[in-house]
Formats: sequence, C-alpha cells, structure tokens
Amino acid sequence: MTTASASASGPVPGHGGRGASGPATVTATDLSLRFGGTRALDGVSLRLSHGVTGLLGPNGAGKTTLLRVLATAVPPDGGRFTALGHDPGTPSGRLALRRTLGYLPQNPGFHPDFTAFDFVDYVAILKELTDRTARLGEVRRVLEAVDLSEVRGKRLKRLSGGMRQRVALAAALVGDPGFLVLDEPTVGLDPEQRMRFRELIAQAGEGRTVLLSTHQTEDVAMLCHRVVVLARGRVRFEGAPAELTARAAGRVWSSAERDPNALAGWRTGMGAFRNVGDPPKGADLVEPTLEDGYLLVLDGDDAAVGA
Amino acid sequence: MTWHVSEDDLRLYAQGELAPPLLWSADAHLTGCAPCRARLAETADPVALDAAWERLDAELDAPRPSTVERLLVRLGVADHTARLLAATPVLRRSWLLSVLFLLVMTVLAVRMVGQPMLFLALAPLLPLAGVALSYGPSLDPTYEMAVVAPLHGFRLLMIRTVAVLTAGLVCNGAATLALPGYGLLAVAWLLPALALTGTGLALSTRLGSVLAPSLVGGGWLALLAVGELQTRTHETLAPFTAAGQAAAAGVAAVAALLLYQGRDRFDARPLGGFRDGGAV
Ligand SMILES: Nc1ncnc2c1ncn2[C@@H]1O[C@H](COP(=O)(O)OP(=O)(O)OP(=O)(O)O)[C@@H](O)[C@H]1O
Ligand SMILES: [Mg+2]
Repeated sequence: MTTASASASGPVPGHGGRGASGPATVTATDLSLRFGGTRALDGVSLRLSHGVTGLLGPNGAGKTTLLRVLATAVPPDGGRFTALGHDPGTPSGRLALRRTLGYLPQNPGFHPDFTAFDFVDYVAILKELTDRTARLGEVRRVLEAVDLSEVRGKRLKRLSGGMRQRVALAAALVGDPGFLVLDEPTVGLDPEQRMRFRELIAQAGEGRTVLLSTHQTEDVAMLCHRVVVLARGRVRFEGAPAELTARAAGRVWSSAERDPNALAGWRTGMGAFRNVGDPPKGADLVEPTLEDGYLLVLDGDDAAVGA
Repeated sequence: MTWHVSEDDLRLYAQGELAPPLLWSADAHLTGCAPCRARLAETADPVALDAAWERLDAELDAPRPSTVERLLVRLGVADHTARLLAATPVLRRSWLLSVLFLLVMTVLAVRMVGQPMLFLALAPLLPLAGVALSYGPSLDPTYEMAVVAPLHGFRLLMIRTVAVLTAGLVCNGAATLALPGYGLLAVAWLLPALALTGTGLALSTRLGSVLAPSLVGGGWLALLAVGELQTRTHETLAPFTAAGQAAAAGVAAVAALLLYQGRDRFDARPLGGFRDGGAV
C-alpha cells in the first residue's frame, strides 16, 4: 500500500511529545460547503498528523459537516484535501481512501433486527472483507476491543444507547483503518466506558490519524495531541492543547461576587466565582484550563458562545 | 444423531475449504458431536487443525444466519451477498406483508368491478417504490456508512434492486394468477414496471431517492388519467396496448443504459441528505 509512504520517512511522534506533531497525513485547503444560505464550512484549512486530533466547537459550528467531507460522505463545494496520500477528488483516490477509512457518524443508524455481531459483520462486508473466516475473525476482534463480546448475539434494539455507540465504534475499527473519523464518540457513555473509549482511541492513534469531534474539553485534554476549534464554519484555533490552555493564562480569576466585566463567570462548588475574561487589577488569578482557553477563543465570535 | 460429516467434507473442513451452506451444517454438527470432532482431529495435520479449531471457534460466535439468508445461500448466493440483502429494509417481513395485503385488496376490487385497470395501474408502482426505498437515505438507516464504504454504491444498489424486483414481480405474478379471466392483459404490468423502476433509478442520482421515484410514479398516474379521458369505455388504456408495451420496453432499455452509464455517480455524492443531518 502507498498509504504509509507520506509519513514513513518522518519522525514518529513520541508518546511524551504530545505537543509536537509529525508530518501531515491529512491536508485540507479552503474547504467550503453551503446548505442554501448557511455556510456550514467557510474556508476550512487544516493539517492532521498521526495521533489523535480533537475538534471542538459549539452546536452548529460545522463539525459534523467537516467530518463528513473528510470521510468522503459528501464532496465539498470548494477547496480540496488529501488524506494518507489519496485525493478523494478522483474516483480512484476516493476508493483508495475509503479502503483505509473508519467512520463513526454522529447518529449511526442501525438495522434494529440485527445483532451486534450481524451489524459489524454487515459493515465488514461493506468494507470488502469477503473471505468469511477472515471476516468473522475481524468482527470478533473489534467487538472484543470495545468490550462487547458478551452481548454480540443480542439484537441492537435491546442494547442500551451506550452499548450501541460501542457497536458503532467497533464497526468503524473494522479493517484497522489508517484514518479514523469519529463524530462525538464519547457521547452517552458512562464514565468508566468513557475512560475505556479514550484508552481505545489513544491506542488507535498510535501510528494512525484520528480526528474526533467532541463537546468535552476533557476528552481533548486527556487524549489529543492537537486541537482544532471550529465556529461558524471557520477554524478559530489550531494547535496543541497546551497552547489553547495558554490562551487563558492570566485571564481566569476567582472572586467572592460575580465580576460584571467577565466574559463568563460561574459559582464553583467551593462557593467562589470563577471568571474568564479581562481581569481587574489585583485579581486573584487562578490556573487556567483548556475549557477557559476554548471559551476565550470563541469570544471573538459572540454568537458562537452558547449558540 | 443419524447424520455425520462425511470424510471428504471433514477433510475440506479441516483445510478451511468447505463452503456454506455445508459449512454451517458441519459447524452446527461438530459443536454437538464428539465422535465427529475426534475424527476431525485424526483427519487433519496439526497446523491445519489449529486453523480449523480457530475457525470453528469464530463460527460459533457468529449468530445463525436468518432463514432468508440461509435460503439465499442455498440458492447459490454468496454468503456476504446474502447478508447485504438481509439488510435491505423493504425485504423485511413487515414490508412484504403490507405489499401482499395491498395486492390482495386490489385483486378483490378487480374481481368485484370486473375491470383489471386498478391492478394494472398499481402493479408497476410496487417495484418502483420498493427499489427506491431500498437504497438511499430515506429508509436505509446505515446509508451514511454504506456511502463511505469501499463497496461500490452501484453494486449494492444492483444487489438490492435485483432482490426487491424479484420479490415484487413474484408478488405481482401471484396476483396475476388470481385474475385468470383476463388472459395476457393481466401481465401487461410487467414492462411498465421495468420502465418505471429503471427510470426512477436513473433519475435518482440527480433528483434524490425520494423525488425521483415520486415524479416517475406521479407521471405514470398522470399518463393513465390522460389515457382514461381519451379512451372510450371498454377500450384498453394506451400503456397496455401493443404499442404501449413496445414503448414501455423501449423506455426500460434506455433507462437501464443511462443508469449503467451514470453508475459512478452513486459513489460520488449521497442521494439527498443524511438522516439527522444537521438541521434537516
Ligand atoms: N444537510 C443539511 N442541510 C441543511 N443545513 C445543514 C445540513 N447539515 C448541516 N447543516 C447546517 O450546517 C451547519 C453546521 O452543522 P453541523 O451539523 O456540521 O454542526 P455541528 O458542529 O456538528 O453541530 P453539533 O455540535 O450540534 O453536532 C448548521 O447551521 C446546520 O444547520
Ligand atoms: Mg455534529
């Protein structure tokens, strides 16, 4: 396969060097897509490399649209991208990319009468695994990876929402794809499963390119070596999570009363108010988090905050 | 237990070369029959045997295929193709039952009125609707995953079309048998059915999987209505005359050609939006 050639020559991003990113495996330039009057993507350019990249953004920011474009589910109106050396603008490039792609849609649909095993098997067939023995082995492997071997024979309509989410992730993992596109994979999971998922996704990010959208800044802080913030179809930030956190350095303070000048402020469990914005003189500055940085990045776009 | 796996099958099994449905029978049998497992252990060389055990193990995890799938495999369909077919929404029992119900009602009505037009008008619409609904975002809940999968969209479409068309034609055929009094006229739905289905599919890459068949179905009904106005009573409606049948055959052929020529479009962009897509 030619897929690895783009990256094989460069340094492999080490586990310790989360901020550092290797050579680009996915490069998008000026992607745009409109739905009627809505610019869902408005000139998005970004570079992904091996490892897990997080995509943050408020509701309606265009995350799902961007992931669909990168997963070849819809072609963009404008702009182009290449992934793992393939150009999905051409039929052969698109096919080659699809052969090495794993995609978890935001609302994965199911055939309710299928069992978990049937469903993953079905996706494996869509992914051209026609040899029965190899296919069954692969289905077993991914079901085990998401810890669902026990319920593989249960019908999907009898599984809980979180279990179905795991079945969908298993389907995305079929065939060990080099490029994984996951739309809100941790939504609806209990904390224990969320941790397992993160482990699993981090593992998948070793030597592969993973792009995941999420509303959970913790997902990004714990998992991602890079983060992209999208709002109103535009990239507001692209860099290491630490850089995003650093955006809030000196801009988070605590006070006894809500500070009217703060962009955002809320009472914490400890009783004091935590404020984000431009602190007054002598404010009691506190350590910023990734979420603070995220809120500040969105601040340039008032309507985006809490939209 | 009266039946045991034959020596030949056992050897093929150990080599991993036994094909379904024999494979499934062998699997099912081997899990329950210790003597046959012992014979298997003797038959095979150790390396092949390990592989066979592993395979048996994997096979045990796989749920038994549904009746439809087993039937298809027995008819010579590859097991992976059978699974793709089993995922066709309109081939589910509830759908087939509603189609049968509709046909029974129509046949009864035709017998009461003594006039086959109602049946001839309806019969071509059923395969059109069935095929339109079996591929695309409207009824296939996993369409988004199918789109990004390397399997060609056109191939999946054709697999399902053949199956749905067969099911639809069989249903229609059964209904035709229930109307013996009309001779050849009672099968005059066949060519229009192919023409409508072909045209609906050929247009779906441009108009989407809902609008295209709706327009085609609407066009068909309009054609019949116009025909009805222009024909005197007790004369056959235009589409069911010899000339009309020839025209339907022509349309079916042209539509099939256009569909085939545009086959790559099914991979290029989805037919219409996705379920739950953004604000839709
Ligand atoms: N198929 C569509 N037709 C029309 N508008 C759409 C379609 N898909 C998305 N949009 C619009 O594009 C914009 C971006 O939507 P998108 O689903 O990409 O947002 P998102 O960031 O994934 O949001 P969320 O966090 O709620 O999942 C929204 O304004 C949405 O209304
Ligand atoms: Mg979304």
